[in-house]
Amino acid sequence: MSDGSEIFLLNLRVNGRAHRVPVSADDTLLDVLRRDLRFFSCRETCGLGLCGSCTVVVDGRAVSACLAPAFTQDGCEVRTAEGLEDTDDLHPVQQAFVDEQAFQCSFCTPGFLMSTVAMLEEDGPADVESALTGHLCRCGSYRQIMAAVGKVAGDGRDGTGE
Amino acid sequence: MIGQRQTLLDARDRVTGRIPYTINLEPPGTLHVAILRSTVPHARLVRVDASAASQLPGVAAVLTRDDFAGSSIRPLFGPVFRDQPIVAMDRVRYVGEPVAAVAATDLRAAEAALESIEVEYEELPAVFTPQDALAAGAPLLHESFDDRAPGYADIVLQGQGGNVCNKFQLRKGDGLAGFELADEIFEHEFSSPPVQHVSMEPHAAVASFEGDYLTVHTCTQTPYAVRDALAYMFRLPASHVRVVVPPVGGGFGGKTYAKVEPLAAVLSKMTHRPVKVHLTREEEFVTNRKHQAFIKLRTGMRRDGTIVAREVQALFNAGAYTDISPRLIKNGGYGAVGPYRISHVHIDSYAVFTNLPSAGAFRGYGVSQGSWAYESQMDMIAEAMGFDPIELRMRNLLLEGDTFATGETLHGIRFPEVLRDATTLFEAGRVPPPAEDDGSVKRGRGCAVIIKSTITPSTSAASVKLNSDGSLQVLTSTVDMGQGAHTALSQIAASALGVGVGSIGVVGPDTDVTPFDLTTSSSRSTAAMGAAVREAVFDVRRQLLDLAAQQMEVDVTDLELADGRISVVGDPASGRSIAEVVTASRRGTLAGNGSFVTEGGLHPETGQGIASEHWHQGAVAAEVDVDVATGKVTVRGLRASVYAGTVVNPINARMQIDGSVSFGISQALFEQLIHDEGHPANSSLSEYALAGLADLPEVFEVSLIEDPDNDEMHGLGETCLPPVMPAIANAVADAVGVRIRHLPLTAERVLDALEEQR
Ligand code: FES
Ligand code: FES
Repeated sequence: MSDGSEIFLLNLRVNGRAHRVPVSADDTLLDVLRRDLRFFSCRETCGLGLCGSCTVVVDGRAVSACLAPAFTQDGCEVRTAEGLEDTDDLHPVQQAFVDEQAFQCSFCTPGFLMSTVAMLEEDGPADVESALTGHLCRCGSYRQIMAAVGKVAGDGRDGTGE
Repeated sequence: MIGQRQTLLDARDRVTGRIPYTINLEPPGTLHVAILRSTVPHARLVRVDASAASQLPGVAAVLTRDDFAGSSIRPLFGPVFRDQPIVAMDRVRYVGEPVAAVAATDLRAAEAALESIEVEYEELPAVFTPQDALAAGAPLLHESFDDRAPGYADIVLQGQGGNVCNKFQLRKGDGLAGFELADEIFEHEFSSPPVQHVSMEPHAAVASFEGDYLTVHTCTQTPYAVRDALAYMFRLPASHVRVVVPPVGGGFGGKTYAKVEPLAAVLSKMTHRPVKVHLTREEEFVTNRKHQAFIKLRTGMRRDGTIVAREVQALFNAGAYTDISPRLIKNGGYGAVGPYRISHVHIDSYAVFTNLPSAGAFRGYGVSQGSWAYESQMDMIAEAMGFDPIELRMRNLLLEGDTFATGETLHGIRFPEVLRDATTLFEAGRVPPPAEDDGSVKRGRGCAVIIKSTITPSTSAASVKLNSDGSLQVLTSTVDMGQGAHTALSQIAASALGVGVGSIGVVGPDTDVTPFDLTTSSSRSTAAMGAAVREAVFDVRRQLLDLAAQQMEVDVTDLELADGRISVVGDPASGRSIAEVVTASRRGTLAGNGSFVTEGGLHPETGQGIASEHWHQGAVAAEVDVDVATGKVTVRGLRASVYAGTVVNPINARMQIDGSVSFGISQALFEQLIHDEGHPANSSLSEYALAGLADLPEVFEVSLIEDPDNDEMHGLGETCLPPVMPAIANAVADAVGVRIRHLPLTAERVLDALEEQR
């Protein structure tokens, strides 16, 4: 697998459904999710694990998909923003983002959502700030994001400061 | 409705991640592109050999300059001068310039093929700063300026020669002779570095030629400008080129005018397949940027604190190609006068070519560079002359009916109110004191106030279709890029028709369908496109009432339209619904058109005339802590105030100001593109420092100043960005007594200045 061209079959579950994807050694989880499986909520901005826009939840932990080698994901359970809603209802974190309008262009939104979900439902960091400081929102929707997350995390934060 | 908090209409798609950005598009058979870029800043291109690369598996085409030999395709493009090649022709002019491009069945194959392309350069001397580029004997980037693109009547081309790309000048009153009236004269130089937009969605486009028809999906802010550029390039009637713009993941100016679309289109023409270009983050850093600027500011003061004369000498680093520099240095030029009443003004503003990537539109549009100079100097003058900095500003601020430097009379002016509102931040107790006081943290306060034009002359057109069920479609070429434009336009349309937002649908930019619009930039869309939409709705409303009058056999002047029903005034029971009237008319749909056109322009020698249809007015007050041991600046409190006229959607209005402030703090403290002999040294988000969540002040206030008696809407997308940087620098000077004239105020630079002071 040294030259990256070797192909092998990756088995993983995304949003509860099983997938089998041929991948090469230099593919990342982001490649698999976007290019092969078309989960477009997973988005690359930095490609370096620094901006959070590619964050998905893997086996309960928030992960930068741009850094995660695909072949290490075999047998993993992946959650993306597409899988958060029920048939009719948005997930409470999504609903809070809508209620607080915690986005402008929304390119960063799924990453923020997935880190928040990991924090609340899985075993991520306990406080909002440490869960989200690694996330970039170039549109600067931070206060509304913090308000939305605060609302679902129950700390009553008012992001607008007004 | 107008003025109500309205959640974005497509909010659900945004939180499920299903919003259809350009980068998601991949029609069947799409080829992917990798670009070979110049490794030298300036060179004659001796040889480009792609013969080996084009034979590799998966490779469908390799574009080099040789493909243009004998082709009817015009290889150069640009909004003002067509001087930028799709791939380098005879020369390369910056590190990162496209030299060749591979289209292949998958991205890996395209990237791999780059290694097989052979390029031979004969290096030429290069220049990187405007000062060096203007020096005698400097190497020239361009020999001729002859391919002007039509349009943009406001742009006067003058001053070209040597490495001067364009010059703007303004002379008001007695110009330099006005300094004779001054009791004291202040002269300082200020600089701003180049910075990048870093929109999270990169530039991307999918082009597909079918016969003589070209369709391009792209994340541009200027669909019609891209369409016209492509039509010219391929010698097609504009009717054969269709540009569609999906929702955009942040623009900030960086997505104005053709960028990656020509490359995608040429490769599609060569391969007869859809071709997708999707830039990497590293490529983004060499694609477009904010102009580096050096501004010499001379200000003549009367003893009583009146500004009598101002001279501006501005050098803007345009990089290798013209892009929109001629307009930017104009707006940046007169913008550098500031929101002050000054009788004698002399401005020379230059765009200068250098061997760096091209600079272009950037949120703030030249005003950030100018206000960095004049609002910093304002505090320096106040200190030297013993005035309170707020009072000194108040004494000189433009008032309603005053004349601006361009000679135009100003209306809707609220500068004193805006500045006073911002500085309420300084009222006792608003911002908590530094946490620990061991003497190493100093607190300071600063403010700044700015004036910004909107693009003038300009044109926006809109169409609406009223359906037989009473619902209304708005057809608009305004790009939704996070500012909530389509939602605001829905609110405007709903208000004009007197129906709920729920019955409005917006069809976004598709040049085959949606009418002309100049650009989604310059904080103009809500006002300009909003006016066009309103007129289009009124058009359809008139038709509707005429039809109702016929159907009801009453005089049209007796009818009123409210809450979706048309009835005889005073007799609500006589009413029928919009749907009933349209259906009974048997027209199917009713169509309405509207447009908004502004006039203006400045005299080439004097800069006198009409620069802006209305003026954006913003102020920022900041409280900062400076750690004298580390040089670290922390913004503790900030209040941004803006004159908004009528606010359409308070949610998005406020968020755009939040965004401007976060851009401003980032540029004040961190952002700068660094080059080593023209080689980019920080083209990744690990090396290019940006402000994040942790850098926002804990006291952060946004104030929209509205005028209930005036329904004029003022753009809000940029106004509060330019004052952030000087307000912070003024607060730093107030805290520790050092004046930094060069952005950004990194800890290192502050520490150096503190050491120098000791
Ligand atoms: S793209 Fe993965 S963290 Fe930035
Ligand atoms: S909303 Fe645009 S980047 Fe966060």
